Amino acid sequence: MRTVDLFDNYLEGKLSAQELAAFELRMSSDPVFEKAFEEHKTLISILNSGNERQVLKNKLKHIHSVQFGKEAKIISINKPEKLTKRIGKTFMVAASAAVIAVISTIALLSTGGYLLKKQDSKITDLGLEVAGLKSSQNAIVRKLNSKEDKPFAAANLEGSAFALNNNGYVITSWHMVNGADSIFIQNSSTERALTKIIFNDPALDIAILKIENPAVSKGWQVPFTFNSRSAEVGEEVYTLGYPRQDVVYGEGSLSSLTGYSNDTAMYQVSIPVNPGNSGGPVLDSQGNIIGVIRGKITTAEGTGFAVKSTQIIRSIASVEGDSAKSELIVNSTRSSLKKLKRSEQIKRIDPYVFNVLVYKNN
Amino acid sequence: MLKPKVNFTDNDFVEGLKVGDDQVLKALYKKYYNLVLKLVVSNNGSSEAAQDVYQETIIILYEKCQDPEFKLSCQLQTYVYSVARNLWLKHLKKHGKTGELKEYHQDVFEDVSSDTKTHLKKEESIDKVYKSLEELGEPCASLIKDFYIKKMNMEDISEKFGYTNADNAKNQKYKCLQRLKRLYFDNFTIVD
Repeated sequence: MRTVDLFDNYLEGKLSAQELAAFELRMSSDPVFEKAFEEHKTLISILNSGNERQVLKNKLKHIHSVQFGKEAKIISINKPEKLTKRIGKTFMVAASAAVIAVISTIALLSTGGYLLKKQDSKITDLGLEVAGLKSSQNAIVRKLNSKEDKPFAAANLEGSAFALNNNGYVITSWHMVNGADSIFIQNSSTERALTKIIFNDPALDIAILKIENPAVSKGWQVPFTFNSRSAEVGEEVYTLGYPRQDVVYGEGSLSSLTGYSNDTAMYQVSIPVNPGNSGGPVLDSQGNIIGVIRGKITTAEGTGFAVKSTQIIRSIASVEGDSAKSELIVNSTRSSLKKLKRSEQIKRIDPYVFNVLVYKNN
Repeated sequence: MLKPKVNFTDNDFVEGLKVGDDQVLKALYKKYYNLVLKLVVSNNGSSEAAQDVYQETIIILYEKCQDPEFKLSCQLQTYVYSVARNLWLKHLKKHGKTGELKEYHQDVFEDVSSDTKTHLKKEESIDKVYKSLEELGEPCASLIKDFYIKKMNMEDISEKFGYTNADNAKNQKYKCLQRLKRLYFDNFTIVD
């Protein structure tokens, strides 16, 4: 063995007791050996500190650009109003402009988020152009609503949500419910139910809603559990959500442990997500919740971002001194989905994934 | 509406940095940036310079926190301000600009000068090592980084670089390391 290899093994704690004793003896009796070792150790330690500093510098640069740079923006994926379903022929052209207007304004308004970089001038420009359209778009929306003969007015925004625990709490994206006048949830087994916002964490873009009427959540047996450990790259993942009126299943894999611009609070998933998927759950193959769909990158198809379950657990756990805290727990009874086939898992999950309808004045 | 805990105490920050908590790092970064920005910008600096000084400051604090024994001996805000101020004074002096500093914080903790000195000295050594690595060129630079930083084993390194076996890879790494030592140390100690 070369002396250098001996140094390396010593630094990594790979020497046997006997070798270690011999090493220490030589250190104390051979000054040249000792000096060579000190040099070696110094050099390796500088190499590693340099690397650590670089990693930290990159992190700080990223934090800076997110917090203070104007170059970062999110494209959130709430679903705009279901215009196409309700409009007569005369409104078709105007309505499609309105759909674009709604989506793009959302992109502009959600500057607190993290997606899209400024150099993506195509999108920024579109957004600006569209801002001017906003008032005319509102006019169209009102006109359409007045023609509504269904029992409920069309919501301004729609998205997805899912049960947090058996007590009637559901979790969704903050960007969807922020500024709402009223928020309803519904799915095939739960009739339209009014909720109120109980908790929000704008930094993670999550909100927790409580169903006002306790009868709605009576007998809930939430089948999934929130994963308290980090998921792994390459894991198979899937989501259920409401990009249209019926629940839609989407699958893919976990592609990165960080989100856009290395945001460590998010995963990147290769699930095709669409407007309306925001707030939906991301589950692993065992039926554990690993995240909440948050947004997607606009420049590439099939790249979604999800807030990590570990971050959500942490955020909720940090709520201080309020009686509501005792109810604000994430479901942690063991997932009953582990051994089920995917189709069976979905049947069990489906009643606990909701379509969210958000109403806003003006 | 309930909110997550956002008001970290000084101690929360120090403990969070000790365990490398990214959320804490983010909150800390946000908290004092404007203070340092004001200090630098109103004393002949650009906002880019402020960003550099601030990031150096956070790195100094972060590295101090890696010492399990580390305890703040003043308020965190005072510490951050004092380190940034000290770094900025050094910068001004280097560029021949002296004069009265416009201050934005009441207290200044003078003991930070040893912290910044240690930090800058270490930065110099790091620069020298990485410059030497660059001078070595490839595959030496990558060989050394893969082994000592990424902690890859010799089998994987041998495969990555296309050596016939791990012993050959080890031999190459040895030669590269000897060259690096020759570049970095003025007279390095040869034992075999």
